[in-house]
Amino acid sequence: MWKVTVKGLLAHKLRLALTALAIVLGVTFVTGTLVLTDTLHNTFTTLFGHIYQNVDFEVRGKAAFSSDTGAAVRKPIPESVLASVRSVPGVAYAQGTVSGYAQFVAPDGKAVSTGGAPTLGFSYDPNPQLSVLRIVSGTGPTRPDQVAMDQGTAQKYHFAVGDHVRVLLAGPPQTFTVSGIVRFGTADNLAGATLAAFDLPTAQVLFGKVGQFDAVDVLTAPGADKATVQHSIAAVLPPGVEVVTGQTVADEATSSINNALSFFSTALLVFAFIALFVGAFTIFNTFSIIVGQRTRELALLRIVGASRRQIFRSVLLEAAILGLVASVVGLALGVLTAVGLEALLKGFGITLPSGSLVFEGRTVVAGIVVGLGVTVVSAISPARRAVRIPPVAALADYQATEVESSRRRLLIGTLVLAVGVVALAVGLGGGTIQLVGVGAAAAFIGIGMLAPVVARPMSSVIGRPLAALFGMSGKLGRENSMRSPRRTAQTSAALLIGLALVSTIAVFGASLSKSATSSVDEAVSADYIVTASGTGVGGFSNSVAGAAAAVPGVAAVSTVYGGQFEVQHSLSTLTAVSPQHLSATVILRMDTGLGAPALAAGQLLIDSTTADAKHLAVGDTVPVTFAQTGSSTMRIGGVFKPNALLGSYVVGDGFFLSHFDDPLPVAVLVRATDGATPATTRALEHGLAAYPNLQVQTRAAFEKSQQAQVNQLLGLVYALLGLAVLIAMIGIVNTLMLSVFERTHEIGLLRAVGMRRRQVRAMIRAEAVILSLFGAVIGVVVGTALGVAFAASLSKQGITDIVVPYGSLVVFLVLAGLLGLVAASWPARRAARMDVLSAIAAE
Amino acid sequence: MTTTTTDQPAAPAPAPGPAARAVDLVKTYGRGDATVRALDGVSVEFGRGRFTAVMGPSGSGKSTLMHCMAGLDTPTAGRTFVGDLEIGLLDDTGLTQMRRDRIGFVFQSFNLVPTLTAGENITLPADLAGTKVDRAWFDLLVGQLGIGDRLGHRPNEMSGGQQQRVACARALIGRPDLVFADEPTGNLDSNASGEMLAFLRRSVTEFGQSIVMVTHDARGAAYADRVVFLADGKVVGELAEPTADTILEQMKRLGS
Repeated sequence: MWKVTVKGLLAHKLRLALTALAIVLGVTFVTGTLVLTDTLHNTFTTLFGHIYQNVDFEVRGKAAFSSDTGAAVRKPIPESVLASVRSVPGVAYAQGTVSGYAQFVAPDGKAVSTGGAPTLGFSYDPNPQLSVLRIVSGTGPTRPDQVAMDQGTAQKYHFAVGDHVRVLLAGPPQTFTVSGIVRFGTADNLAGATLAAFDLPTAQVLFGKVGQFDAVDVLTAPGADKATVQHSIAAVLPPGVEVVTGQTVADEATSSINNALSFFSTALLVFAFIALFVGAFTIFNTFSIIVGQRTRELALLRIVGASRRQIFRSVLLEAAILGLVASVVGLALGVLTAVGLEALLKGFGITLPSGSLVFEGRTVVAGIVVGLGVTVVSAISPARRAVRIPPVAALADYQATEVESSRRRLLIGTLVLAVGVVALAVGLGGGTIQLVGVGAAAAFIGIGMLAPVVARPMSSVIGRPLAALFGMSGKLGRENSMRSPRRTAQTSAALLIGLALVSTIAVFGASLSKSATSSVDEAVSADYIVTASGTGVGGFSNSVAGAAAAVPGVAAVSTVYGGQFEVQHSLSTLTAVSPQHLSATVILRMDTGLGAPALAAGQLLIDSTTADAKHLAVGDTVPVTFAQTGSSTMRIGGVFKPNALLGSYVVGDGFFLSHFDDPLPVAVLVRATDGATPATTRALEHGLAAYPNLQVQTRAAFEKSQQAQVNQLLGLVYALLGLAVLIAMIGIVNTLMLSVFERTHEIGLLRAVGMRRRQVRAMIRAEAVILSLFGAVIGVVVGTALGVAFAASLSKQGITDIVVPYGSLVVFLVLAGLLGLVAASWPARRAARMDVLSAIAAE
Repeated sequence: MTTTTTDQPAAPAPAPGPAARAVDLVKTYGRGDATVRALDGVSVEFGRGRFTAVMGPSGSGKSTLMHCMAGLDTPTAGRTFVGDLEIGLLDDTGLTQMRRDRIGFVFQSFNLVPTLTAGENITLPADLAGTKVDRAWFDLLVGQLGIGDRLGHRPNEMSGGQQQRVACARALIGRPDLVFADEPTGNLDSNASGEMLAFLRRSVTEFGQSIVMVTHDARGAAYADRVVFLADGKVVGELAEPTADTILEQMKRLGS
């Protein structure tokens, strides 16, 4: 039987190679993702281990919030702690550190952008054993006018020691002299973040922490017992301050990065599995067709004594060998792809530190298990069909009959679809994202099973214009696609899923985009919105609001702050606005209670969604915790309608500033006397020229940039889904190729009675276009429904408008048709080249 | 070589010149020691308005001769003509066009496109060419063949005999210069065979159609006006106005 299997594989090299390609691509994606994330994980672990390898202990404020994990918010500690720590026996060296926002300005006057990474300012510790920064050239900063710059920024913008550089700070921008170029441990910079190091007293002033430290780093004396020292330090610390080992700090830093990485890796793996899911349909289809074409051969094997079990095993073994080979190829390509993915992310502005590729045993196992598993599972159903072939099928005049009744298929398909839809509904209605995934997969399988029922009438309708346009070739193509509804449906199933997902995203994206626009209109009454440029998370200077207010033509200015606090013991984002200019800048529609007066009175406003979810009402008192000022309670002064800018919890800026040290504005809202005019825009831009990290946008421009962000994300998702569509296309090529082989005789006959090569090609193309459009039409319909359901389920999360982008959907259909044409080109050429005589003689 | 058909007054007068001819046709397969000479210098003419049978044992080259003369296969040497048209000079497009417009085919099996109805199969060559079908001729053929009630059916809904009659109609619909029939009754029972051959005979007699039929059935060949015998790639004899007995006699003589 082994020999038969191998011979079978060799006899169908080409069609199997095409099938394998689907698996190869899927495994490549999985492997690439794992290798990339393992590599990143390793890079960060090494980096942080390196940075903290000499630090024995760190003394720091306790994490403010119990519910907080990753990057904890900590209160600065008083300077006096340093003296206490230094006095502890066994402490060889201790130094305080502070950090904060500092962003370089490039020589061209533009702020150095990081593509989302933070722009960090540090105090520089001259002790080389302790400092996280390593001097590459020059010296550390020792005077108030000096700054040390990270090597990444220095190289990119050609800064050298001795150059002047402007630095944007929480306060007004200042100019410094570059005293030295530094590296962060072994890296030129930290994952794309920029670093500005100042001497300690300067840093304390710049970061608003005079008399305070963020942490104190400690080295123990040689020979001292570390546990004892840690214990002794703990004994001298004031309440709210803790001492932890350097290892703990490194682990915390690593784990917070890994949380971000695992989200990223999960997202990529989701797309990898979509690709494999689509690939599974392709494999299933190919094996079904191959088994069908080998009916006579398999029956002959039965006649000469092969058992059903042997036939079953033979087909599965064929699949297993194919899956294994494809997985191994996929593994190899995956490593290459990891490099490519990194470049792709770089293209989208996400810079990552480089490190040598990490290829873990787990990656090999995962790649092979997934590739092999998907192939074998997909081949089970065709193998079962092979088993049902009766020996009599080997006889020449045997007519194959449909083994499986279509009624049973209809029943099972409907059942699977129903389960999928229910799972989807539950998942979208507040269940888990996993449930949504399982529901979608089940729904697609159900649709795949039901599709053959409509394949014949739909192919007939889709093919009618083609038949009218291309005469006999079009008509024959249409007839061919109608000939085996099951094959048509199976072939287009992959494309169906691909297009369904693309359409879902299109509907969801359009709704998101529209909601973003209308929510800006409903949230903001200001004429201008000033924010940090790029995807900046660093915020900007406190002095911007003052500078904007001084610009002629500006009527009112309001600074919006954002920060983290704990409410009812869960970590949430708190937004602060000025009650003074509230109505001029923000649209706050109150359901109950008061707006501005409540804010001025230091009360908390919550949005109606949160109020409903948490059963809160005006007058209730909720427990809150702030990092800097500790726990207290707040009275709810009002409930407002959801506002995209403000989020769920809002306080007045006065209250906010008294509870947050050194907060950074997230936006400055500007109301102009005459509305947004080009003159005012110019004046505002001029007035804020000192802050090159800012972008001044009119409300319309802000909306547009919000949309652009959504669209950029959509572009990335489309690119990732493109792989699934590519696999679907391979499936179509494969099926057409198999059909051409199968119909050799028929094509020969057509050629003999006078069909031109061109007409043969047109016939195959027509069939391909019908196949593609069949999948695409169902896919777009299903995807649109899914997208609408998805968007509707997120109405409370701010997707208020549901938009069906008909234009895009039509474009998808046209593209699918073109894809069919492309997929047909090789099989069509093959069919047209067929030698007439040998085609007729073929048996 | 030609015999006048004085006993068939209904036939129109045949145009001058043969419907097809081959001159010193050679076809070899393989090379070196393994070379097989399927055709070894065959010169033959097929008369216009005549029904010619080509007979010979398996491997005698009769199918190869037909394939070469129909432009399905390329001879190694020699020339072939359909009417005055030398088909060795044609490219693929020319050959396709020639097959479509000047030749009709009836094969032993798999004669019809399974996705098309009987009616569509019959008009297929015209549809491929984008020309109009002569409706009167179509109705006449369909009536003669007795397949008028089958036109809307697909091949798998018809008997072998019915399928073969549809194939006949398709071969004749374009009034080709020549119809090649390759063992057309090979898969039919004797009843269907008889009807089939009688129709071919009638189309020659009544419509002046030229037909070349490859067969190894002496009774079938007896319907022809003339029988050409092939053996080992050469023309080894021929018989005018044959009967089953004279054919068998000739075969016996050649076989020994």
